[in-house]
Amino acid sequence: MAFAASSSSAATARTSAQSDLAFRIPSNPPKFAKFAPSISRRSPPISCKMAATAVVDMELDAEALQRPDAFGRFGRFGGKYVPETLMAALTELEAAFNSLATDHEFQKELDGILKDYVGRESPLYFAERLTQHYKRHDGTGPHVYLKREDLNHTGAHKINNAVAQALLAKRLGKKRIIAETGAGQHGVATATVCARFGLECIIYMGAQDMERQALNVFRMRLLGAEVRAVHSGTATLKDATSEAIRDWVTNVETTHYILGSVAGPHPYPMMVREFHKVIGQETRKQALEKWGGKPDVIVACIGGGSNAMGIFHEFVEDEDVRLIGVEAAGFGLDSGKHAATLTKGEIGVLHGAMSYLLQDEDGQIIEPHSISAGLDYPGVGPEHSFLKDLGRAEYHSITDEEALEAFKRLSRLEGIIPALETSHALAYLEKLCPTLPDGTKVVLNCSGRGDKDVHTAINYLKL
Amino acid sequence: MNLQALSLHHAISFPSLNPNNSTRLGFRLPSHRGFKIASVMSPQHTWTQTWKTDVLHLIDETEESLFKTGKFGRFGGVFVPETLVTCLNMLLSEFSFCLNDPHFQGELATALRDYVGRETPLYFAQRLTDHYNNGRGEGPEIYLKREDLNHGGAHKINNAIAQAMLAKRMGRRSIVAATGAGQHGVATAAACAKLDMECTIIMGDVDVARQSHNVRLMKLLGAQVKSIKGSFKDATSEAIREWVGDLERKYYLAGTAVGPHPCPAMVREFQSVIGKETRKQAMEKWGGKPDVLVACVGSGSNALGLFHEFVRDEDVRLIGVEAAGTGIDGGTHSATLAKGEIGVYHGAMTYLLQDDEGQIVGPHSVGVGLEYPGVSPELSFLRDIGRAEIHTVTDEEALDAYALLCRLEGICPALEASHALAHLGKLCSTLPSGTKVVVNCSGRGDKDIETVFKHQQQKSSGELISF
Repeated sequence: MAFAASSSSAATARTSAQSDLAFRIPSNPPKFAKFAPSISRRSPPISCKMAATAVVDMELDAEALQRPDAFGRFGRFGGKYVPETLMAALTELEAAFNSLATDHEFQKELDGILKDYVGRESPLYFAERLTQHYKRHDGTGPHVYLKREDLNHTGAHKINNAVAQALLAKRLGKKRIIAETGAGQHGVATATVCARFGLECIIYMGAQDMERQALNVFRMRLLGAEVRAVHSGTATLKDATSEAIRDWVTNVETTHYILGSVAGPHPYPMMVREFHKVIGQETRKQALEKWGGKPDVIVACIGGGSNAMGIFHEFVEDEDVRLIGVEAAGFGLDSGKHAATLTKGEIGVLHGAMSYLLQDEDGQIIEPHSISAGLDYPGVGPEHSFLKDLGRAEYHSITDEEALEAFKRLSRLEGIIPALETSHALAYLEKLCPTLPDGTKVVLNCSGRGDKDVHTAINYLKL
Repeated sequence: MNLQALSLHHAISFPSLNPNNSTRLGFRLPSHRGFKIASVMSPQHTWTQTWKTDVLHLIDETEESLFKTGKFGRFGGVFVPETLVTCLNMLLSEFSFCLNDPHFQGELATALRDYVGRETPLYFAQRLTDHYNNGRGEGPEIYLKREDLNHGGAHKINNAIAQAMLAKRMGRRSIVAATGAGQHGVATAAACAKLDMECTIIMGDVDVARQSHNVRLMKLLGAQVKSIKGSFKDATSEAIREWVGDLERKYYLAGTAVGPHPCPAMVREFQSVIGKETRKQAMEKWGGKPDVLVACVGSGSNALGLFHEFVRDEDVRLIGVEAAGTGIDGGTHSATLAKGEIGVYHGAMTYLLQDDEGQIVGPHSVGVGLEYPGVSPELSFLRDIGRAEIHTVTDEEALDAYALLCRLEGICPALEASHALAHLGKLCSTLPSGTKVVVNCSGRGDKDIETVFKHQQQKSSGELISF
């Protein structure tokens, strides 16, 4: 109840905010009341400490809003809801990260690896035929560009963060790396960098997922990683995450936990975003080179939210740049089988951070569904929750079917097979482009390639 | 220059050709028993100043006359039916024009940069270098030219996108290509999708069955995949037949540096961006040139792509690595330059794997892209004059090299490229410390994971794998 009281005072504080901030609070006060009881009945995997006072006693000025603030919060989202044993490690990690941000040697080494190992810069590709596809009868329409993260080593944006965190771990003197993985993409990226840096690597994977992804499991082992099966719960991603966190708690002195997305306790959301922000930085430079301006609209798919934060972050302060995140609507928003956290979720704490998440009446996590494994996460990065509440970014969702259509469309029109995750963002163009004025520059983050998804897609597409 | 003047019997003095071969595009020579074509250089020739001059002289001569004659020394040529000669002539003049057209070059450069993802990095493989060091930390430095990072995952797209653009420029609406392993088919299908061109990929039924994943990719990219009886060599013949049947509309997109002139020259030219970048990157990284270049050889396109830039640099060693399959002696393999004999195949004179009756021997390798019974005429030439060295690597050695690079560098190379990597095992101990070795990592190995998996499973019945 104390929380409910403090949050209503927070609500009051916010309503008196400057009106030009377009600060949208969840409109339904009863949601807050419902939240307080559910959090006490629910038993989250990690116990949480709630601040007694409202944490939003801060300057409500867009420019001064820190992302995150000193407590690791983005507005009221984020934070460090972890057991005591992890607090020291998180503080140490944050300190190390902050010192390395200004360490030229570290930056130089990282830049060299991103260039020669990962293959950056990734191109900003003008998708001529896709642009043509969206031209209206009068010949007008937006110009569509793809930021080619699919061309990175290992075929997705994930490696940007994995490589940087491995380098960070080495600096910290940690020899052991752990990570969790669902379909295996993050696991493969982590195993890849551990091979490159000669670090011991343990990947936690749900037993169910291991069965479905036998080749990815083999790949990780070939790269020298140990893959440990997790049998608890539904034996999928969220259980693997919990197990990985448990390992970290036990081995925190020797071990670094490579979290794959902008979720989890502070400093992870900030760190992972920082390691992916190169995507947005390159985009700004390339946009200037190509058309002498900025993108007008940026579109990216949202699972945990890392590729989206990677491209958004550079432009968050540019109010004339629209930011659009696209989540997975699975079988449909009303089917109960989706992963549209920001559209259908409610606020709670998961894996150490306060954010929107898919939970039932009792605060139990709802098993999400999406045809794309990478979007199949019941939570979302706290910074996205924040940007949504601020009204700075818009969040929409796309069904499995629409994503598959987009998968086929890009393959046919541009000869680029996108990841099913990315296909969600591509599918949204169907709704977006008809509304855009002639010549609008749309940049879509092509976050991964789809070779891994051909098998899944073929069954549906009947080729 | 009238290509028709190039008679089929020009520069060759062979016994009469077998008339039964007329249904095929190439002409298979009858029995070679006891028939040896004298090599320009005897293999025992030592590296003397005279030899170097001779080699350079030959290379220069060849380069000067190449466009007119289509010959690399005595290799290459235009061994085709009359119907094709005019078409090849037209292709040659269009190609020459494009090479000098800044507009085409500009468009191609943009496509290579924004679509394919060039430049590809020249990556210093620290852990691989350390692995091959002796106990005292001495040994060569190993760099990988990362063609695996290209769109599509191999070097094939460099050529496919350029030729597709050439075809579009020539007003052709439809591309036809043949593929064995499928990499060229996928690259061609992707290029055609991007350029809005009709695409037909012809594959032998043997390969359609083996390469089902690549077949799915091609169909997804909008190509029509035609299955014909046989293997890659039959698919190539069929593709050329289709081209001949509709010369106005169709364009035959050669994926390898083989075939009648100008195909070998064209493919090599479009792949030569690999070597050009390497020179620039080597200069940036260590202020010099590579000392040794290593590349796998199937038909030779990735090797020539890397080598061509350095052919005139006498201090740069060129090493091609072919597939010894299950064993070079008596086993099934694809080591054309090592074990083949000269003949005419798919329109060009070159080394090829043939039996005593001049029948083409079906090649084998675990790296399916290396399974080609012929080889580029240009590579045949470079090998004959002693400019390029040819070695071979078995399936086992290639599979081991695949696993090694995964474990040490987190890069899964294509099984084809693994052949080049495997050769490092024999090469490195012979090189002075600090020698700069550049290996063409011509493709990524995601497509081969199942093969490696099955192989390890077979091995695990006898051995323990570190799981």
